[in-house]
Amino acid sequence: MTSAVTIPRHGSTGGRTAVAARARQVVKAYGAGETRVVALDHVDVDIARGQFTAIMGPSGSGKSTLMHCLAGLDTVTSGHIHLDETEITGLKDKKLTQLRRDRIGFIFQAFNLLPTLNALENITLPMDIAGRKPDREWLARVVDTVGLAGRLKHRPTQLSGGQQQRVAVARALAARPEIIFGDEPTGNLDSRAGAEVLGFLRRSVDELGQTIVMVTHDPVAASYADRVLYLADGRIVDEMYQPTAEQVLDRMKDFDARGRTS
Amino acid sequence: MTVLKTSLRNFFAHKGRMALSAVAVLLSVAFVSGTLVFTDTMNTTFDKLFASTSSDVTVTPKGAKDGETPQSGVPQSLPASLLERARSAEGVKSAEGGVSSTSVTVVDSGNDNVGASSGAPTIAGNWTKNELKSMEITSGHAPRGPTEVMVDADTADKHGLELGDELRTIAQTGDIKARIVGIAAFKVTNPGAAIVYFDTATAQRELLGGTGRYTHILVTAAAGVSDAQVKENVTRALGGTYKIKTAAETADENRKEVGEFLDVIKYAMLGFAGIAFLVGIFLIINTFSMLVAQRTREIGLMRAIGSSRRQVNRSVLVEALFLGVVGSVLGVAAGVGIAIGLMKVMTAAGMNLSTDDLTVKATTPVAGVILGVVVTVLAAYLPARRAGKISPMAALRDAGTPADGKAGRIRAVAGLVLTGAGALALYTAGTADQAGDGALMLGVGVVLSLIGFVVVGPLLAGGVVRVIGAVLLRAFGPVGRMAERNALRNPRRTGATGAALMIGLALVACLSVVGSSMVASATGELDKSVGADFIVQGSQRIVPQAERAMQKSPGLEHVTRYKMLDATLTSPDGAKDDDGVTAADPTYAEDLRRPTTAGSLADAYSTDAMSVGSDYADKHGVRVGDTVTVAFEGGKTAKLKVAAITDDDTAIDQGARYISITTMQKYLPADRIPPNTILFAKARDGQEKQAYAALKQALDPYPQYQVRDQTDYKQELKDQIGQLLNLVYGLLALAIIVAVLGVVNTLALSVVERTREIGLMRAIGLSRRQLRRMIRLESVVIALFGALLGLGLGMGWGTTAQKLLALEGLNVLDIPWPTIIGVFVGSAFVGLFAALIPAFRAGRMNVLNAIATE
Repeated sequence: MTSAVTIPRHGSTGGRTAVAARARQVVKAYGAGETRVVALDHVDVDIARGQFTAIMGPSGSGKSTLMHCLAGLDTVTSGHIHLDETEITGLKDKKLTQLRRDRIGFIFQAFNLLPTLNALENITLPMDIAGRKPDREWLARVVDTVGLAGRLKHRPTQLSGGQQQRVAVARALAARPEIIFGDEPTGNLDSRAGAEVLGFLRRSVDELGQTIVMVTHDPVAASYADRVLYLADGRIVDEMYQPTAEQVLDRMKDFDARGRTS
Repeated sequence: MTVLKTSLRNFFAHKGRMALSAVAVLLSVAFVSGTLVFTDTMNTTFDKLFASTSSDVTVTPKGAKDGETPQSGVPQSLPASLLERARSAEGVKSAEGGVSSTSVTVVDSGNDNVGASSGAPTIAGNWTKNELKSMEITSGHAPRGPTEVMVDADTADKHGLELGDELRTIAQTGDIKARIVGIAAFKVTNPGAAIVYFDTATAQRELLGGTGRYTHILVTAAAGVSDAQVKENVTRALGGTYKIKTAAETADENRKEVGEFLDVIKYAMLGFAGIAFLVGIFLIINTFSMLVAQRTREIGLMRAIGSSRRQVNRSVLVEALFLGVVGSVLGVAAGVGIAIGLMKVMTAAGMNLSTDDLTVKATTPVAGVILGVVVTVLAAYLPARRAGKISPMAALRDAGTPADGKAGRIRAVAGLVLTGAGALALYTAGTADQAGDGALMLGVGVVLSLIGFVVVGPLLAGGVVRVIGAVLLRAFGPVGRMAERNALRNPRRTGATGAALMIGLALVACLSVVGSSMVASATGELDKSVGADFIVQGSQRIVPQAERAMQKSPGLEHVTRYKMLDATLTSPDGAKDDDGVTAADPTYAEDLRRPTTAGSLADAYSTDAMSVGSDYADKHGVRVGDTVTVAFEGGKTAKLKVAAITDDDTAIDQGARYISITTMQKYLPADRIPPNTILFAKARDGQEKQAYAALKQALDPYPQYQVRDQTDYKQELKDQIGQLLNLVYGLLALAIIVAVLGVVNTLALSVVERTREIGLMRAIGLSRRQLRRMIRLESVVIALFGALLGLGLGMGWGTTAQKLLALEGLNVLDIPWPTIIGVFVGSAFVGLFAALIPAFRAGRMNVLNAIATE
């Protein structure tokens, strides 16, 4: 099973295609000759719009690399990646930067916020950089959704880990990007704070129609997603819709066992 | 052992980050060792020169100093009869009469000065066998007869002189026109003196005003007789009324004079090197602070697994030691290069130096390395101590560097106390009525306020950066705001970086204020008091033939002679001083309008009358009508009646005592009357322009004198002070370069420290261009912060200095706003420049490195 093509789902926002991002025959390799390491091996994937997609896999499976390539943070060795109708493979840094700024949101595992800016400034930073005025109403709604109304003037160091990640979520949502990428967004949080953040992500998909792609190795986190993609050795080896934490865990144990016996 | 190993590994792991600190050490050490090598080389050159030019024993008149002509303008001399007596002394192989005068100017047929520039003497003398010790005739022959002259090869080369060219030697006793018949080259390096030789009779007649006299007698010892023995014998033969020196003593005396001059240069340059070191200290402190901060977790781990505080502390100091050694060793090597460069510059400026004489004393590298290492280790001490204080818990804490401590209350108090004390000292200096006490207070005030500003700098950083941000950065939107926040996030770092720049710029501001106040005061004074239209002065006191030419120049209402006379004065209360008197024509009262506090200046120019300055009058209770005893040197003693007391609140002729030329003539024999120091002239009404042109033409054969009207005189004054300031700015440039390196260093290290942040910003859409701009703006803010502090501090110092110097006639405070604003704006550009490489590197940073989870 080298590919998993998603059947377009209903409920996508009008006008745009149902696929928010797609990768075709994407290869990412490091080094050359003997030392060549293939992180992504001819990956084909479609990310459905308005869905919450989780990417799972053991360490070194290429899940982060896939996300970085989809998000235009990393270049591919070969293959094509489209964000909506825009092909991002081969774009120059300047265009890529603009694309990230205007069309993509990010949530990282740690160090999501600039320590010199307060929560609100961090939230509006992408728009500030772009020189756009934030949509006040939307901003208020986002802030309200993530429950930060009282802490907007706080600096990141004055916020707990969970609050910091909520600010990061708010930042990702505030600019209304076409797609949000999360790189282990709850990896540094305890289970309660993690659940909170994942809850927000889920709600933003359900209520705001946001498209989210999240890399994780936590079955519980993956269970918030609509769909889980499994990566191993740079290939997509399986997928699962509407997963529960138990199912995900079982599937992973399965891979683990297979990996050991083979 | 492990300490050494970790330190070494750390040093090499961060060699890039150490590079700028090493360059700072290198530059300062290079300047120090360059100065030492240069002055040692100069000393070697002069030693060789003096060793080769001194005869075994030299006899000169008592009181004659080499290179200094008595007030008469004619060198002191000895009767020729001494020569025979010297020859007959035991152990003397031969003796020659020498004639030489440094009070001459040599011009070519186009009336261009071919004499020495760059402060070296122009010497006219007779060609003796002794000269052959140090010179050889390279073309032509030695001069014979009154129309032949020989010139040294360096001068000939420099001015394109050839055999057959005519030279005119202008001496007090007249002009000597002669053709070049020979060119003689020095066998050793002659740094710059220009020398012309005549035969003995011509030299005697033309330079001393008559045959039968010599300025010195050159004695050669017979084989096997020591110089000291010959000196003793000659002394016995001549009697004790002469100065008799062995070759070694002559060389020592000459060397002492040159050495004093070179020492002044040496210490001045070392002073500037010291400033550069001071600035470098800030850079080193910052580097180590940042390295320690970035290594907090690592150090925490070391502590957790059992390193003691001392070990951590020492490991940082050992790194500093490596840095100091590497920087200093390279610095010493670069210093030799700097010395050679300086010699080339000097050569271009008209001096003649040879790298053959390059002298690197063993003490030079030793001093350079010790200085560099000690300064580096001392500078690293504070960060090292801070490293030692890192708790083992740091290993467990979250990554990222803690925004290191807010500047504490102790710092605030200490800084304010120091600044306050400095301000108080400056205030005391500004209001002092004794220049001496004031100067001390000024020094204390400068040092205290500087330290105070350095200490309080990090606290000021907050406010000042916000103000600069509000004014400047708003225009740049979020990028500007982030730049401001970045500059503010570590006030200690920004403070130290800015302080480094502050030091150099404070000195620039201070000197520019003093310099421009000097110009303004002098110009004001000139406007107020100078009535003369033209002022004539130059490198040689004005020879009679030039004076005659001037007297004959058409369109002049009057020409005022002005002579400085050596004399001992005894006031009515019995106090004696050797400050001499000034003899001038009565028209001088018009040429320089000096207000009097009592009496009339015109009366002071009548026979047997004089004027004194108000300070003198106050000090000794002298009133108009009192009698002052004036013992003229080389003349009679006069009792002169004080007819006027001049106000000493002036910059020109402060404290001068005037008598008339007529009075002088009554007490001084004609041959002791000195030439004029300066001549003034007034044009007939409405003929100023023609008279100026005519005067210039009349003095064209005497290029050693400059004719200036008031406008040109002011310009000249301005230019001279401007040149002096430029020289000092040039030397301060070193300190400023080190400070700029400091800004580069801080930014570069900050960029490394903020890798993840930069990655994050790039990931969420900050363009490279915006990122670079952010770093540039941060740099500009730091530079402007330093500039603002420095300029403020410097203007304070300069103003105080002016208030203090007002006692010496520096009445006008003139703050050169164009310079100050220029420096301020310039610092912004310096900031931009400093950010070039860090910004470029930040732009090149890989986004993924920054955000990838470990």
